[in-house]
Amino acid sequence: MERKTSKLNVKDIIGSDIAVSTDYGDILYKNIIEAFRQKKQVELDFYGIEIITTAFLNAAIGQLYNSYKSEELNKSIKLINISDEDILLLKKVIQRAKEYFFDRKKFEDSANIAVYGS
Amino acid sequence: MNITLATNIKTNYNGFNYLIELYYQTQKTNDSVIYFDFSDTNWFEANLSAILGAIVELCEYDGKTTSFINLKPKIKDILHRNSFLPDYRRTLAINKYNTIVPYKKFEPYSDTDFMNYVKSELLAKPDFPKHNKQLGKKINESIFELYENARTHGRCKQIHTCGQYYPNNTPKRLDFTIVDMGRTIKDNVNEFLKKDLKGYKTIEWALAYGTTTKTGNISGGLGLNIIFEFIKHNQGKIQIISSDGYWEYNKGKAKTYSFESNFPGTIVNIEFNLDDPNIYKLKEEVSRDNIF
Repeated sequence: MERKTSKLNVKDIIGSDIAVSTDYGDILYKNIIEAFRQKKQVELDFYGIEIITTAFLNAAIGQLYNSYKSEELNKSIKLINISDEDILLLKKVIQRAKEYFFDRKKFEDSANIAVYGS
Repeated sequence: MNITLATNIKTNYNGFNYLIELYYQTQKTNDSVIYFDFSDTNWFEANLSAILGAIVELCEYDGKTTSFINLKPKIKDILHRNSFLPDYRRTLAINKYNTIVPYKKFEPYSDTDFMNYVKSELLAKPDFPKHNKQLGKKINESIFELYENARTHGRCKQIHTCGQYYPNNTPKRLDFTIVDMGRTIKDNVNEFLKKDLKGYKTIEWALAYGTTTKTGNISGGLGLNIIFEFIKHNQGKIQIISSDGYWEYNKGKAKTYSFESNFPGTIVNIEFNLDDPNIYKLKEEVSRDNIF
């Protein structure tokens, strides 16, 4: 049976065309989680969004990797009306979130290497 | 107490060092009123009002009142036009068409006010790079990343911002300064790493890809790195001051110094190159499939 789709318009949800803060990202995250809880697919529409920051995307999308795997997210989320530049930003956030949640301790150790070089 | 300010106060290591020492002068006195005496001052760069505003905030926090006296007409004009001095309202109409991004302070949760400020004071300015929309977008992203960084890491009471366009310089540039008097990068990073690194080392750490002091369910470690990478391409300049650390990137070179005294917060000054010839728009479409 085909899953129902929840259409989430980012601009409507955060009430702004500038998606920049962690708090707004968290609001979108909660909307996505709620749709998943209802076993729905999500169509994430970025129409009208002018500026996005990593802070927003870390909270809205990156946070999902705490509970979901890539395969699940690829099946469950469809992105529309997002610019190529913002997709690139999202790719960086996703890569970073995977690293962060894959092994937090390993990443904390790698931070030490960044400082001490060994 | 009367504090006479220096002759020239610029956006460089000496200027920042001077303002840190100025802060300590305000802390040494028990007088309830502090007069900042500008009688000797011939040059004060407008974006540095954000730091002066932060020092005033700390004086007020200690129950002291502040006053700015003996300003030469040129300095008075700058500080009126950028809204730092209180009777600025009469000149607001002129500001709309000039080169100043006004001084303003924001509560940490006033995202909407900050958005409106950026929209009206940056995006609406005639000199903002309209011909290169992608450059404008990248500049905006950087400013919002900075704000969010100050808000979440500084845990401060107020964030002070100010900016200045230099449309007649070659290249044209925009200086934007943001100050938070909260937890310093040095404190946050050393606490996280359980180390005792010098201030500039902790700034280097914070700028690297993937490093973050966040430990919760929201990943971090991209914001400052993305700004830094953009400034490299933009051939702009970035200066970060936090506690005793000074870190600067300009024309392909990074410089680090330690101040003798600790600044009780973080200052970030970015100089954007508005004549940046780089094209930030991608030539090929990026696939949306299997993005996760």
